[in-house]
This record gives sequence, structure tokens and C-alpha cells, in this order.
Amino acid sequence: MAEFSKKVMKEVDALFARYPKKVHALGMLLHLAQRENTGYLPEGWDAYLAKLCETTVNHVRGVITFYNMYRTEPPGRYHVMVCTCVPCGLCGGDKVLEHLEHRLGIRPGQTSKDSLFSLEEVQCLAACDQAPLIQINEEVHHRVSFEQIDRLIEEARRKSA
Amino acid sequence: MPQETLLLLKNIRKPNYKGDLRAYRESGGFKALEKVLKSMKPEQIVEAVKASGLRGRGGAGFPTGMKWSFMPKNTGKPSYLVCNADESEPGTFKDHVLINEDVHLFLEGMIIGCFAVGCQHGYIYIRGESIKPARHLQKGIDELYSAGLLGKNILGSGYDLDLTLHRGAGAYICGEETALLDSLEGKRGQPRVKPPFPAVSGYNGCPTSVNNVETLANLPFIILEGPDAFKKLGTPNNAGTHLVSISGHVKKPGVYEVEMGVTMRSLIYDFAGGIREDKKLKALIPGGASAPVLRASEIDTPYDFDSLAKIGTMMGSSAMMVFDEDTDIVELAWRTIRFFNHESCGQCTPCREGTFWLKNLVRDFLDDNGDEAKIARVGRVSGGMIGTTLCAFGDAAGGPMRSFVEKFPEDFLAHSA
Repeated sequence: MAEFSKKVMKEVDALFARYPKKVHALGMLLHLAQRENTGYLPEGWDAYLAKLCETTVNHVRGVITFYNMYRTEPPGRYHVMVCTCVPCGLCGGDKVLEHLEHRLGIRPGQTSKDSLFSLEEVQCLAACDQAPLIQINEEVHHRVSFEQIDRLIEEARRKSA
Repeated sequence: MPQETLLLLKNIRKPNYKGDLRAYRESGGFKALEKVLKSMKPEQIVEAVKASGLRGRGGAGFPTGMKWSFMPKNTGKPSYLVCNADESEPGTFKDHVLINEDVHLFLEGMIIGCFAVGCQHGYIYIRGESIKPARHLQKGIDELYSAGLLGKNILGSGYDLDLTLHRGAGAYICGEETALLDSLEGKRGQPRVKPPFPAVSGYNGCPTSVNNVETLANLPFIILEGPDAFKKLGTPNNAGTHLVSISGHVKKPGVYEVEMGVTMRSLIYDFAGGIREDKKLKALIPGGASAPVLRASEIDTPYDFDSLAKIGTMMGSSAMMVFDEDTDIVELAWRTIRFFNHESCGQCTPCREGTFWLKNLVRDFLDDNGDEAKIARVGRVSGGMIGTTLCAFGDAAGGPMRSFVEKFPEDFLAHSA
């Protein structure tokens, strides 16, 4: 059901207390909702959050579709982001992306059949001195080589086996 | 060999500096805040910052003290200070260093800034992708609440201040201050029509100052050492040191702290170790992806706001992207316009359509299907975006694109049909 648990509601109330209006907390609540739902917003959460924040469903949908990080489809257990922006792109970011597509058998925007990996081409991750870089879930990996990528993928597969 | 001038990275450059509250206090941290709360009035801080010549480090270089003085007093509404920690400009990564490695220097500056503008609840807007830095920052904030440096009656002064960390969700445009404020209000992050400027009607319709992380981190020094000590550093009208992010084809990419006005040649060859594999320098983008490109022959210019404006580009957030002789400027233009096309909020037609058509045009060159008419068209479409949009995004996308074809037409001609 699209609803925060009683325990999470305490976090929600703490957030509401920090803004002059409830709707100001919407961005943070969307992050919270994704955390509680394996990284995405399942059906019904837009309406639920609209009610919580005392706004319209359309407003919430407008916000969800504006920002890259809010998702309405489940990501893989390991969400792999590859930067191909200016410094990364000119330091081999494209080749990193190609390598990942090949290794994972998916294209950016797709999730692998076993739901283990999803791939996303992203813009600047603010560590351009460490180009090329990728981020897997929360972890940023600097100056990645193909060998390092293969190791990371293997490790993820092993952990989930 | 020129050395860094350490004002902001003073602690970070110490070996084994831990960056927690204890370490920060042991190296003299929070003395400036004590001085402020014990002996200064908010107006005195605004005056000191004005006198120091501090200009915003987020990109626009607007004088910070003047920005604060535009905020009306006694409006009956609360005043807000919002810190822009969105740091999304390709090539920029210096605020992350401050947040990750010396968070309390920044937070002390933030508290002083809040006191100066009469703010009792400050917000820090950090980009959504930066999950670990956000957690680290929250930990720093929590430490300050426990130590009585945030919350009610800070250091027994009677001053109350809350700080709230707000995470973005992946939108470059939210680095624009009015888009940031809309995002903070739970809306789509689209720039507002100005005026009114945030100083008059910002967060929740109240007087608001939006300041960058590095800008605020300068405040403890200005308070303790005085405005003159700050003004002595740098060049006239470009006071202080700044954190320069150097990336691309250099031997030692990274963040370097130097006085304003060090030449770009010195930054590339003395600090960043020169070009990788000792190749030749071909081009340089001096201020993040939004800044028009420079040719190698232009690097003897002093690196400060005014000197770069004079040669038709900008220093922005002090992000230098360096490219060697093997770089194809068409490839660089392609990366740049793809980024801007992806990040345009879509509100203004020149920007939404302009970035789309420029992307298609550059794609033609990449496919070796260019010609002279298309080069002229890139210049014309770019020009049509400059000064015709609600926010600076149109200029940020149009300026660099026009500069690529103007400064490196030979690279585009090499991709003719």
C-alpha cells in the first residue's frame, strides 16, 4: 500500500517541522518514499504524497517528471551511473559506458532481466579531476579502468548469488 | 615554484587533519563566531564584508556585502540565508572538497552569514547525486547542535538559528538561484521572472540571500583578520584567494587555492603539472561549461573575474578545463551542447529550441556532414540565445557554442561533407 509506516512517519513529521509550508518538504519526501520502496515510486505514491503535503496530484507528478532522480520504474539492485559529460567524456567516459553496456547486456535506461543492474548515462558528478568516473548506488568510483569495472560487477554478482 | 596561498584549505593541507568538530576547534575554529556573537552587530558584519571586497564564488562574482545590503529590514517577515551547494557546473568540484574535508569551516561561515542577514532558519541546498557528502554535512550539522553551536541561544548570546539540509534531485538548473528557491519550495526548479530579486522576495516570498559554499567559508577569515587582510590578497576589485578546479588533460588535476590574478599559464604548468604526456595545449575553458573557450595563446591572462571578462569569457566558479593538441573541438562542442540540451528547463523558447537545434547541427559535423553555412548557422543560433532568456542559461549555452566556431573554425571545417 502506498503509505509510510508509523516509524517513518516520525521522520516525515520531523521534516515538516523544518519548513514553513508542508509542500516545501515534498522533494525530501520523494527521496524518502524511494528509499522505502527499493529506489522508485510505485503506483499510488503520487496521490498519497499529494495528500500528505496538502497539494494536488498534478503538482506532485509535475515535480516527479522534472527531476532525474525520481523514478516511477524500479531500478536494478545496483544502479550504475556513468558520466559522459565534458571532462569525463574527453577522458574516456564513452568507452566506459560502452564497456558497461557490453558487460551488463543493457543500454542506458534499461534494467537487466535479473533486476540486478540498471544503467544510466548521467551529467557531471562533480569530481572532474577524477575522470572518468562512475557511481554505483551511493559509491563514486574514480578513474575507472575496464578491469576495475569488471571486478565491481563480479563482486556485485557474487554478493547477490 | 609558486605555492598555494592557504586561507580556505589551510586545515585540509595539514597532514592527518581529521575535519571533525574537535580538530576544527583545535586549529582555531569558531573563534570568529565567538567574536561575532560577543561583540558585533549584524550591520558591522555586512560592512566588513563590503569592505573586504568579497565577490560571490558561485559563478556570477557579485559583491556579497552588497547582495546582503539589498535585503529590506523590518518587513515583518523572516529573512533567509540559503546556501547554494548544488555544484553542478561541469568542471567544478571545489565546494565538495570543503564539504567533505573541512565541513565546519563552511558551517561557521554559514552561521556568521545567517547572523549578518538576521536569519533564524538557514537552508543548505545540496545536489541530489551527492549522497555521501550530504550525509557528511548532516553529521556536521548534528555535531553543532550537540555542541550548542546551533539551535537556541548559541554560545549564550541569545541568537537562535536552525540549519536544514535540503537535497536536490538531479537538475543542473537548480544551481540558478531562483530555480533553487522554487525547488526548495517543493516545485519544479524553473527560474523565476526577475525582478523581484530574492533579496526582496525569495524563499517563501521573504527577503533571501543565496550564497555559495566557498563564499561563506571566507567569512571566518574576514572577521578574524579584518577586511584589509582579505583585500590585500588578489588583484584590485578581485580580492582574496579562490579555489580553482582544474580538470582535463593535465598531469595533476585537482583543486588549488591561489590568490586571484595568478595567470592561467601558471595554474596549468606550475600547479597542475603541465599537459599530460607533455603534449601541447590546444584550448582551455576557464570557467566551467558555461564559459566561452580560449585558445592556447590567451593563457597569459590573469585569472580573475575582470581580466577574463575583458577577453570575452568568464571565470565563473573558477573551473578550468584543459584540452591537449589531440582534442577535437567538435567533440568538445558536442559534449557541451548535449549537456545544455539535457538540462534546459524548457521554459523559454530560445533556450529550449536553441539547444535542440544546436545539438542537431553539431551532430551533423560529428557525422562529417558539415559545411560553411552550418558553421555560420551555429554562430547565429547561439547568438539568438544570448540575452533572450529569463535566466543566464541561454547565455551559458549560447556563449560557449558561438566561441567554439569563432575560435576553432578549422576543426569544424575538417568535418565537412
